[in-house]
Amino acid sequence: MTHSEADTVVLGVGNVLLRDEGVGVHMIHRLRRKYEFPEHVDLVDGGTLGLNLLSVVCGCRRLVVIDAVRNGGEPGEVFVLRFEELPFHVRAKNSLHQVDLVEAITLAGLISDPPETIIVGIEPLDTEGWGTELTPPVMNQITLLEERVLEQLKFLGVCPQERCGNFEEDSRSFPFGEGKLPGTP
Amino acid sequence: MSQRVVIDPITRIEGHLRIEVEIENGKVKNAWSSGTLFRGIEMILKGRDPRDAWLFTQRACGVCTYVHGLASVRSVEDALGVKAPNMARLLRNLMLGAQFLHDHPVHFYALHALDWVDVVNALKADPKRTARLAASVSSAAASGARDFEVVQQKLKSFVESGQLGPFANAYWGHSAYNLTPEADLLAAKHYLDCLQMQVKAAQLHAVFGGKNPHIQSLTVGGVTCERDLSIDRVAHFLFQLKEVKSFIDNVYVPDLLAVASFYKDWGAIGGNSNFMAYGEFPQTDSEPDSLFLPRGAVFDRNLGNVVPVDPSKITEHVKHSWYEGEAALHPSKGETKPDFTPLNTEDRYSWLKAPRYDGHAMEVGPLARVLVAYAKGHEPTKKLVDQVVETLAIPPAALFSTLGRTAARAINTKVIADAMMDWTTELIELIKKGDTQTYQAYEWKDGTGMGLNDVPRGALGHWIQVEDKKIGNYQMVVPSTWNLGPRCSSDILGPVEQALIGTPVADPKKPLEILRTVHSFDPCIACAVHVIDPHSNEVYKIRVI
Repeated sequence: MTHSEADTVVLGVGNVLLRDEGVGVHMIHRLRRKYEFPEHVDLVDGGTLGLNLLSVVCGCRRLVVIDAVRNGGEPGEVFVLRFEELPFHVRAKNSLHQVDLVEAITLAGLISDPPETIIVGIEPLDTEGWGTELTPPVMNQITLLEERVLEQLKFLGVCPQERCGNFEEDSRSFPFGEGKLPGTP
Repeated sequence: MSQRVVIDPITRIEGHLRIEVEIENGKVKNAWSSGTLFRGIEMILKGRDPRDAWLFTQRACGVCTYVHGLASVRSVEDALGVKAPNMARLLRNLMLGAQFLHDHPVHFYALHALDWVDVVNALKADPKRTARLAASVSSAAASGARDFEVVQQKLKSFVESGQLGPFANAYWGHSAYNLTPEADLLAAKHYLDCLQMQVKAAQLHAVFGGKNPHIQSLTVGGVTCERDLSIDRVAHFLFQLKEVKSFIDNVYVPDLLAVASFYKDWGAIGGNSNFMAYGEFPQTDSEPDSLFLPRGAVFDRNLGNVVPVDPSKITEHVKHSWYEGEAALHPSKGETKPDFTPLNTEDRYSWLKAPRYDGHAMEVGPLARVLVAYAKGHEPTKKLVDQVVETLAIPPAALFSTLGRTAARAINTKVIADAMMDWTTELIELIKKGDTQTYQAYEWKDGTGMGLNDVPRGALGHWIQVEDKKIGNYQMVVPSTWNLGPRCSSDILGPVEQALIGTPVADPKKPLEILRTVHSFDPCIACAVHVIDPHSNEVYKIRVI
């Protein structure tokens, strides 16, 4: 996954240390554990953003972003938005930390054709407190978020195969230390 | 009559930095730097497996991902007494080098350039004359008049639509901009070229890192990318490295010199007196002796005397920070007990602690690295510094400044890029010899460890206490805390605060000059300086975070 050679990228972004802020990344790892995707589809854990996401965004034709979205709804509410619907305001930067995903996609348009982008978002409850687990209202809606992502992929003609075996629900599906629990050797 | 100006956050992406200055007779008389986002990663780590710590620390930030992973792994290795094998050392150096090759040019073009380059002014440029200017600046990367016309058209459509895109909300037309329209257009074109280059630099990072951001191939005792030591992967790395290096040699360094030649007065503004570098890129397992960029501290601008760094002399002060008590503690004994009170520049005003070395505020980062290397006779650095000083016809003392800091960043990048070519050759030789051990096994023991790195923004240290296979305590002292931290127990100003004193400010409502110096430090720590602008302070219905 040096950069995406794939035609379609599912990109989860956010900081997994700040609870619901990491929901996009959690979803990527959940999808990976649960499904097998065709070769032309890449699942990318974009982590805490930054301009280096440009290499992912520039490489694909179609992009499905999963992220926490503040939309003034109830925590756990799921939204599907087209990129064009987002308020497009890229400001002069004072720190490279200010380069967010919206900007990375916009900048991609300056150097190549930007991908057709859909954002599947969920209203977070807590994105400021430190913690690696999702909050209950978001966790409760995680299957709905997953369904919405799969639905968008289906529109794009992508139907992943469910893997064999039981899938275990886990509010901290991000594999810190290959899934080891704190303190286990 | 003095006047207070506050530069404060308006949006949140990863955090904030707030700068308050007092201006008298057109110059900054006093300054306060406040980090207004509380960091608490240390609290998440207590009780966890030390081997997992790096996976958490590198998630703290989307810009400096790898460096916090590496510092963490080094601290655990130090605590357990394990030394990574030669091949792992080399691969770690190449990945860290890739971070510099990404961060420094991107900082110059995407963030700092707009403090010096008036993009709107570029619309007045003559593309033919710009092409001639480009050829005179650097023959290797020259573009034709047609290329500049295309870029000018792009800019024009941005400006005409009233939507400046990446160039919005700056101080276009400010009297402190000195470049000719042609130089502005040249820099704007290279801003776009840099975007393309950074895609390659990010890929470079991922060759041995598995992915970017947040590489996956570190482990306590070595690296896990043994399977990437194939001809294909190494050739891919070398190819990408050459492309990025070509941008640095033919675009970044020439641009830096071209822009700097218009701003020589900034060689007397924004300087500090004390500098510290932990040094970086070990060439054997003996540290600090084998570090490619040396470790050392310089006091009172005295390059004749580089003092060895004794990590036991590092303390973090909280007298002016929002933490309990007033004790100045060594990071290994560090505490993170928040105690917020309203912001008061006379009392407590920052979430950042104030790190000090032997009681002194130390600037860290590219300028510190370059000065320490220069003073210690590091040949590649010395050669480039002398060239820059000669080309710009400035006195060597002009390096202690905002201009010097920005020039040092480019010098540092080129020195590292050149060395990476050699390290890649070394890597190929090791593979040929079959010396491909990437992991050293180890046994558990209790103890404390530290991981000292010099990363793009400066000296980075992680301190860990391992107790019964768990993390007992964890503290990070990051470069931007050194540079942007507040006053200490003895009320000595932090490096950014000190550097701002004396800065001329033509228009307090448009403090471009202040941003120049603050930006020259490449602010990080999940922190950002924002400028209050009531017109852009809108509440959006939808906000992607």
